[in-house]
Amino acid sequence: MSIWPEEHVATAHHGEGFDTVDMTINVGPQHPATHGVFRMVLTVDGEMVVDCEPYIGYLHRGLEKLSEANDYRQAMGYWDRTDYLAGLVCEQAYCMAVEKMGNIEVPERAEYIRVIMSELSRINSHFMFLGAFGADVGSFGTSFIYAWRERERIYDLLEEVAGDRMFPTYVRPGGVAMDLPENFEARCRWVLSSVYQGLEDLDGLLTGNEIFVERCSGLSPVSPETAIKWGLTGPMIRATGLPWDIRKAEPYSIYDRIKFEIPTGKQGDVLDRFIVRLAEMYQSAKIIEQCLDQIPGGLVLNPKLPRNLRIDNGECYVRVEGTKGEYGVYGLARGGNKAYRMKLRSPSFCNLSALREMVVGNYVADAIIILGSLDIVLGEVDK
Amino acid sequence: MTNENPAPAEAAAPAFPGIAAAIHAALPGVPMTARETSTDVDIRVAPGDLPAVVEALKDREELAFDYLRNMVGLDMQEAGLEVKYHFYSFKHGHSLQVTVPTPPGNPHVPSLTPYYPAANWHEREAAEMVGLVFDGHPNLKNLLLEEDLRIHPLLKAHPLQAIEIVQGIEEGKPGFEF
Amino acid sequence: MTGLPFLFGDPFFGISWLDAIIRILIVVGVMTLIVVYLTYGERKVVARFQQRLGPMKTGPYGLLQGFADAFKLITKEDIRPRNADRWVFEFAPYATFIPVFLVLVTLPFAENWGVRNLTLGVFFVFSVLGLNIVGVMMAGLGSGNKYALLGGVRAAAQMISYEIPLVISLLAVAMVAGTLNLNEMARLQDGRPFVLVQPLAFVIFFTAMLSELHRAPFDIPVAESEIVGGYFVEYSGIRWSMFQLSEYASLWGFSVFGSVIFFGGWAWPYGDELGWGFQLFLTMLKSFIFILAVFWVRITLPRLRIDQLMNFCWKVLIEVSFLLLLVNGFFLYYEWPQEILAIVNWLGAAALLAAVFYRGRRGSRAAQLVGTYRQAAQAAQAAKVEAS
Repeated sequence: MSIWPEEHVATAHHGEGFDTVDMTINVGPQHPATHGVFRMVLTVDGEMVVDCEPYIGYLHRGLEKLSEANDYRQAMGYWDRTDYLAGLVCEQAYCMAVEKMGNIEVPERAEYIRVIMSELSRINSHFMFLGAFGADVGSFGTSFIYAWRERERIYDLLEEVAGDRMFPTYVRPGGVAMDLPENFEARCRWVLSSVYQGLEDLDGLLTGNEIFVERCSGLSPVSPETAIKWGLTGPMIRATGLPWDIRKAEPYSIYDRIKFEIPTGKQGDVLDRFIVRLAEMYQSAKIIEQCLDQIPGGLVLNPKLPRNLRIDNGECYVRVEGTKGEYGVYGLARGGNKAYRMKLRSPSFCNLSALREMVVGNYVADAIIILGSLDIVLGEVDK
Repeated sequence: MTNENPAPAEAAAPAFPGIAAAIHAALPGVPMTARETSTDVDIRVAPGDLPAVVEALKDREELAFDYLRNMVGLDMQEAGLEVKYHFYSFKHGHSLQVTVPTPPGNPHVPSLTPYYPAANWHEREAAEMVGLVFDGHPNLKNLLLEEDLRIHPLLKAHPLQAIEIVQGIEEGKPGFEF
Repeated sequence: MTGLPFLFGDPFFGISWLDAIIRILIVVGVMTLIVVYLTYGERKVVARFQQRLGPMKTGPYGLLQGFADAFKLITKEDIRPRNADRWVFEFAPYATFIPVFLVLVTLPFAENWGVRNLTLGVFFVFSVLGLNIVGVMMAGLGSGNKYALLGGVRAAAQMISYEIPLVISLLAVAMVAGTLNLNEMARLQDGRPFVLVQPLAFVIFFTAMLSELHRAPFDIPVAESEIVGGYFVEYSGIRWSMFQLSEYASLWGFSVFGSVIFFGGWAWPYGDELGWGFQLFLTMLKSFIFILAVFWVRITLPRLRIDQLMNFCWKVLIEVSFLLLLVNGFFLYYEWPQEILAIVNWLGAAALLAAVFYRGRRGSRAAQLVGTYRQAAQAAQAAKVEAS
């Protein structure tokens, strides 16, 4: 079996002074810049990319098949490993799908806790983006370490609350697994103040930097119509200027009680995506602070849930504002304690499908930056 | 359209709830049924009618469904394969689910790639996972599985097993050539 | 001159070639030690800038890290890819290393002490620099790897382009100094280093030097996060370490060179009076400060893309350096006062730096978006602090 795609026969250019042949470069699954096991085959003419074919599926772990073979609570362990940088957002989405199918109520305190955890995960994931994107652009190492300091603090906080840093299976159908510790509010406010400081550091390092701006400004601009056509969501579509955020457009949980803004860009280029993500982190911090002010007391888990959760009939498509875009869970239940079909609509999958459109016509070095600005996480893409 | 709906329709519910009424009004000639799921309105159309329905969804002003957000391929066992689409309209803010059942043994559905480029990868994935065939798709190759694999893992008949014995890996011989 | 008599003045044993060999051995020995510690030093400096510690385990404070690395690399398997062009591949590391050695021949480390005191010192350095490109191209083409080819081609284009501003800025300084002899240049800076008289030449030299050394922000040929090493990606073990060695050695060589030409080398501030020990110390101190500046720039700045890099060279640096040469020529021919020349140069340097910064500001209208959010967040926090 040949590893080269058959369509990419090298095209020879004649008559422009001398004969040249397009070169195929394999930005292979093992590469420091591809944020995971992802492969794309670039056909380049000199330094200009003429064609790009992405190959995914290296991290395909059979999420949907396993969700059909495990009951609703067991399958949770697979779902938070999809977007592994922000596991709690995935958990919330999956639990909302199970609750919608089974008509399960969630106590209010649990909703607030879920939102706080989701927003902390969002800040975490965006810090990862800031660090990795800085590395892609070339300030190798410095942006990583600045971002990691804050991520470690958030992970410590998550460990105190949920018991685990990345995949806590803390959110359960019907609420959350356990209540917050007593000193949570003080700890959380301390973490937020440190997050503000980290954002200032990274902002000063990257945003005002002339070289960074030169590299990113004007690169692969996307119009709102193109974004809608290709199914781009999240910071990708907000960077084009369309203020669409599922937390505001189709509010779920308690987001309708919280005031926050939607940062938008102007032309959807790489710099705008970076700025939008940076600004979103401030908004997430604002949301967490409001939640900490408003959180009520009470139970954190629906007490009427049976030990063996059975759902006879249910169908739903729950969408949540994931860190990369619209994280959708489609669920179909037809009796029993296992789902009949669960499908993940992952934002990175849909954002990545537009890669070819965005990369063709730019330089090889820019292809890497554009891929970094998509902010994909391969667990989501490959399910 | 002889399949049973998974959820029982309530006796007092209208025949075309919500946005489905507008769609039925826009396409009187197309036979469709509608119901409500927990989150959306769901209409059911035959594969042959799908292009007409999608064109109406996209082009008509009061519908204006410009965003295909999701696509699911399902295996309904004896009832055949099904495809579900989820649409959203940025202009009006309404969302819709479209179910397209295919008769068993004939899993052909017209491709939506000419209308919505976002459908490209979703259709490839549905095709390889349950075995649907999308007519008119420009590049229906395997996406998540290996290029030469011809199994459909998400079929209910395909068992969940520890190792998929398809790679032909023998002792001392790798399964592929460098 | 006091001190060890056989190291200065007449050739050792009266045999000039033996004396040359001994001097070379001394310089190369010092250079090897310095390069080994530069690998350690860079990691420590970079780590400190990034809020971490760097090597700490091998030896006290990690001081033996360089030797540990060298030992490990020597014991690695020497892999040669099948597609590689055998002799080109094998000779490329040496071809990169030889020009560095040659540059070290002319550098004065203390008064009148170098391997050889060439009258055409600066000119010799220019001519030898070009050989670096040959080594890089050999590595890129001979590796049989597309990434290496990309890296080699980018590197060749970049090095050839940036040699021009490098050479012209040095020529401008040589015009003011009136000599090409490096020792004489250092001696002439007894009272006042040339950087005060020719700051624009220094800025151009520093930028071009970063580019010749493939250092950030001009390190696209060795872009680690894209083409994973560029032209030396196929090398392993001792061959790879030769590339690294030549990079650090040329970094050190350039630093000594730059400090001799612009900062007075061994002569300023009190070099003439305090003996060869102090002069040696001055040379080392200045070169290490230079190296620290290079590390600092590397850690902070992202990298330029190849076409931006070339644009910057051909559309900005070359014009400015030619202008500098012309202005210097006018001033020296018409014997206008040197102070006015210095002022004109300072204005030129300020203008160049301002233009570079201004171009960055122009594109960052988005940064204002973040600024407003940050201000709003801080205002909200301040309000909360006041309220509580």
